[in-house]
Amino acid sequence: MAGSISDIRNINGSDLISALHLAQQAPTILGQESQSKSSTASADTAEYYARIEQLLLACLRTGDDQSAQACLNQLSLRFGPSNERIMGLRGLFEEATAKDHSALEKCLQEYDQILSQSPVNVPILKRRVALLRSLNRSSDAISALIQLLDAIPTDAEAWCELADLYQSQGLSSQAIFSLEEALLIAPNSWNIHARLGELLYIDGDALQRSVQHFSRSIELCDDYLRGFYGLTLASSRMLEKSNGSIPKQTLERLKAFGLLKLGEIVKSRSVDDQHWASSRSELIAAKELLNRF
Amino acid sequence: MAVQGVEQTILRDPALFYWILFPISIVMILTGILRHYATVLMNSTPRSPSTLAESRERLALLRGVNLRNNACSVLNRESFEMRKNYMISGFRSGAFLKDPNNRGQPPANPMTDPAGMEAMMGMMKGNMMMMVPQTLIMSWINAFFSGFVILKLPFPLTIRFKSMLQSGVMTRDLDVRWVSSLSWYFLNLMGLQSVFGFILGSDNAANQMAQQMGMANPAAMVNPLQPGQDPDKLYLNEAENLEVMEHFCILDGVEERILQNFAPQGI
Repeated sequence: MAGSISDIRNINGSDLISALHLAQQAPTILGQESQSKSSTASADTAEYYARIEQLLLACLRTGDDQSAQACLNQLSLRFGPSNERIMGLRGLFEEATAKDHSALEKCLQEYDQILSQSPVNVPILKRRVALLRSLNRSSDAISALIQLLDAIPTDAEAWCELADLYQSQGLSSQAIFSLEEALLIAPNSWNIHARLGELLYIDGDALQRSVQHFSRSIELCDDYLRGFYGLTLASSRMLEKSNGSIPKQTLERLKAFGLLKLGEIVKSRSVDDQHWASSRSELIAAKELLNRF
Repeated sequence: MAVQGVEQTILRDPALFYWILFPISIVMILTGILRHYATVLMNSTPRSPSTLAESRERLALLRGVNLRNNACSVLNRESFEMRKNYMISGFRSGAFLKDPNNRGQPPANPMTDPAGMEAMMGMMKGNMMMMVPQTLIMSWINAFFSGFVILKLPFPLTIRFKSMLQSGVMTRDLDVRWVSSLSWYFLNLMGLQSVFGFILGSDNAANQMAQQMGMANPAAMVNPLQPGQDPDKLYLNEAENLEVMEHFCILDGVEERILQNFAPQGI
């Protein structure tokens, strides 16, 4: 049945198209919910509320503030407005619907006030960092994030965000350090390995490590487009410089392997276009790289 | 001794079945359900740290463990040595402690420490939940139903089962297949787990639910420290573990490895 709550797929965080699809169904889903509320108690499951949360995020991204408000109300009805996660979501909602700069400043003050009462409110701490970042106060965001990580050093998400912030400020060695910390927490995440490889490649001093991290990322996930893309780029750059400790022949083979796999991936994903819609830009980049070599 | 080969027959009043076997089973099931809901009701979520320093004290240990476990798949020698030295000196100097000044003093009495008190109360509540109903029901059964033989098992058993199946009935010659009321209670006590699983849903789904939303950030809620444990000792221990670590890295030779494992022949 179209539009039923169980139909919601787990959508990719950065996938705008499926977020849009989901948000378009929001009124139906929420309408159905209010009808069936009295009849079924079985809807009260963790999955159900996780989906409502997802719906809230999708609605906010697509500008459907009314549905977002309805989702938020439903969540805070169930878990109470003083739940940390609900507080974080409410903050997110207020930030997203803020009209101008001063409204955002007001959000920031609110966060500060909440944090003065409960200093370890993680969702609010993170919202504060994100808000500082969107207010273009990157150095404040970095110091807030460092403070957060000092207290909670086992949060991979926060380390990744810190790496991103550092990189945006041009501090690559700090960014590399932060990503390494994230990898220490989640050593098998191929995307972070590939990202670290990218940072090392951009940094330029440690091309060998870059190649190694791309290789590791491929070893963990053997059709990861970004991994192959990076491997091809990094190994060809190394071939140009020819000063690493990886033998030249191996580099040639790595490059050839990367190009071969990229070709295969591009071919198979171009056929099945709809399914890979979210990563279309990556595909285009890969095609461009293939044309270059 | 019971005569071999001759079936013992005991004439039982069928009322025994309705008035003893049945009530005991029903009461046991009901108390089980009641206990489940009482546990859900009294379950206190693990307390989240109240200050940033407290959170750090808890999680620094995990960071050390993470470094120890995962360094080999991420770090090269240089950055590994750097992190190792940082963690060891931090652990040694007590930089990660909640208040480094209190270092070396005996841990606070868990009775006076509110956090420890809470944890102990939690444990106590759990134990009481089990103890009180059991004591009550056991004494109820002892008072009303002791000494009845209420059931005959349809299969023969060895003599060892006598103490298990016939507690409360001191008859030496009785065949092991007869079950006394008190033993029926014990059998119910131990054996109803799967029935509860069937009735309440497996693994007490109700009480996980409330926590899931509360766990905004699971990483922040983990507490490796038991109440009353001295974090400083754990830190020193962890520092020692880190110190004996040798560096090796699975990234060495990963290029050759993927070429061998994933690349087609002839590249």
